Amino acid sequence: MRIVVTRPRVGPGRMWQVVLWTALAAAGTAAVLLWKPTALVYGVQRAGLYAAVAIPMALVLGIVHIVNLAHGELMMVAAYLAYFAARLLGLDPFVALVPVALVMAVLGLALYQVTIRHSLKAPELNQLILTFGLGIALSQMVNLLFTSQSWKLSLDYVSASATVGNISFGVFDFVYAGAAIALALGLRLFLTRTRLGKAALAVGQNPRGAAIVGIDVGRTYAFVFALAVGLIGAVGSIFLAKQAIFPLVGGPYTMKSFCLVAMAGVGNIVGILYCSLALGLSESIINSIRGYAGWSNVVFFAIIIVTILVRSFRERKA
Amino acid sequence: MTFAVRRFLPVAVIAVAVLFPLVSGPYPLAVAQSILIYMALAVSWDMLLRSGQISFGIAGFFGIGAYAAAITTLTVRASPIISILLAGACSAGVAFLLGFVILRLRKVYFAITTLALAEIFRVIVHNWGDFTGGPEGLVLPSLIFKGDSRALFWISLGGVLLACGLSALFQRSRLRFALTAIRNNEVSARSSGIDIFKYLMIVFVTSSFIQGIVGGIQVQLYGYASPDSVFDANYTLLPLAMALLGGIYSTPGPVLGAVLLGVAAEYLKLKIPYGHLVVYGIIIVLVILLLPDGLYGQYRRSVRDRARMARGGTAHA
Repeated sequence: MRIVVTRPRVGPGRMWQVVLWTALAAAGTAAVLLWKPTALVYGVQRAGLYAAVAIPMALVLGIVHIVNLAHGELMMVAAYLAYFAARLLGLDPFVALVPVALVMAVLGLALYQVTIRHSLKAPELNQLILTFGLGIALSQMVNLLFTSQSWKLSLDYVSASATVGNISFGVFDFVYAGAAIALALGLRLFLTRTRLGKAALAVGQNPRGAAIVGIDVGRTYAFVFALAVGLIGAVGSIFLAKQAIFPLVGGPYTMKSFCLVAMAGVGNIVGILYCSLALGLSESIINSIRGYAGWSNVVFFAIIIVTILVRSFRERKA
Repeated sequence: MTFAVRRFLPVAVIAVAVLFPLVSGPYPLAVAQSILIYMALAVSWDMLLRSGQISFGIAGFFGIGAYAAAITTLTVRASPIISILLAGACSAGVAFLLGFVILRLRKVYFAITTLALAEIFRVIVHNWGDFTGGPEGLVLPSLIFKGDSRALFWISLGGVLLACGLSALFQRSRLRFALTAIRNNEVSARSSGIDIFKYLMIVFVTSSFIQGIVGGIQVQLYGYASPDSVFDANYTLLPLAMALLGGIYSTPGPVLGAVLLGVAAEYLKLKIPYGHLVVYGIIIVLVILLLPDGLYGQYRRSVRDRARMARGGTAHA
């Protein structure tokens, strides 16, 4: 497992593949644009949210090599924090995201020190079950404290809409797409340009080698985990701006995030943007067909399973 | 534990379980019955785990079984027992077909695919209204054995005995060595001539069969199946926590865990109506961190250590 931040070299053999896929994607997008323009818009928005949630998970998986099945639940906790910031302190979610991210980073650090750290050397199975248990503990704790009732902020600006030609659509959700791109590019810059980021990248690629050249592996893991939880805190805060929250709201996002990470290939952060675009679009196209809206989740998971299979077969061959 | 005790203990436990409804009141009986359902699932989950494959899709195969039983009862008027067997066959069949593909996946990819499959099953059942009753689900005209609570308990116990029987059988046969070898190191297992795919398929289909049977039993017990009730994540979560607490890679472990957690959860449910499941999460975390072998595993280890000490060795060699 490693983080791919530099562009994979495109040899002549792969060149035509890239051209083909780009052409197919362009043709598909054009077809959707002509047929259902709103499906395209909503697909991009949906993709943005998925990607924004998935990117911190990719960071943890790529560097700490832990599949954090409590990922969505951490986002849910952050959303609750932002909710209280809004209700008690009157903070807008976009302002609250800074303190929420900080609090979540501290929580992430604590979780890492108390639990994750002790399972790093254990079999993968233990880590999966551990984070799975953490997720349940978090969501049920919230359930215990605040009941399963769903809460929502009513903000004016989330219903902003735009009209292009004779179609009008909500524009707020483009914030998620913006957040996703900002996260992907920001992390890429951080991992390639800063001293700390380079160290983290080195640890992700080869912990033993990194330790030999003098990087404190344990501290790097703790830092990356806390950073990822802090980022998911920021995402959770803007998630709250539009979405209703309840204790189990995070669960599906854990699954979808993992699926996206697996689809993009472990560690490939920018790849998540493309994958979530493909999934978001296909979901929203299915949703826009009358009478078939309920099937969009099946499409999502079917695409994921096929991708995981293709990927694992290809890896086996290599 | 001497040989005689080891032989005697399971028989005694089964005897107590069979006689339990004769002395128990209706409330303990109902609690025990629901614990039995989870217990059978916990044992079946552990059976697959012994091969190193972790499934998060128990609820999926449970739900398929539940719907298979409900649909065969309603459409072809299958008798309850037949419908339960058909439920097992249906889950096993689905597992067999899917197995060709997903048993080539490993570790986290396998785990997440099973989770996604359970979700796909749920959505299909949810949307396939003509056949499955859609979101409202299906209601059976009558309960098995006319809803007699003792008979309901015994049929659930039957599910558990089936699971434990198959599990014990697997533990005593060559399968056990093959599965342990696969779990420990797939490459060396393959090079000692173990047909990995075949053994994984056997254990995957068997555990899905049990989950299907239990799903069928559940539907016959309550006379009702809806996408949200039978594909509930609790059917994945609770068995998993029970097996972990009791001790994985064994038959008595999940059984013990199911009894302990089941009783504890029932007590907590009375005290804390919302969020008593938090205990499950905390138990999972604590067990993984502090007691990775579970209670039964810890017990086995201490027995082994004591035996070694008696021979003049050191503990934890």
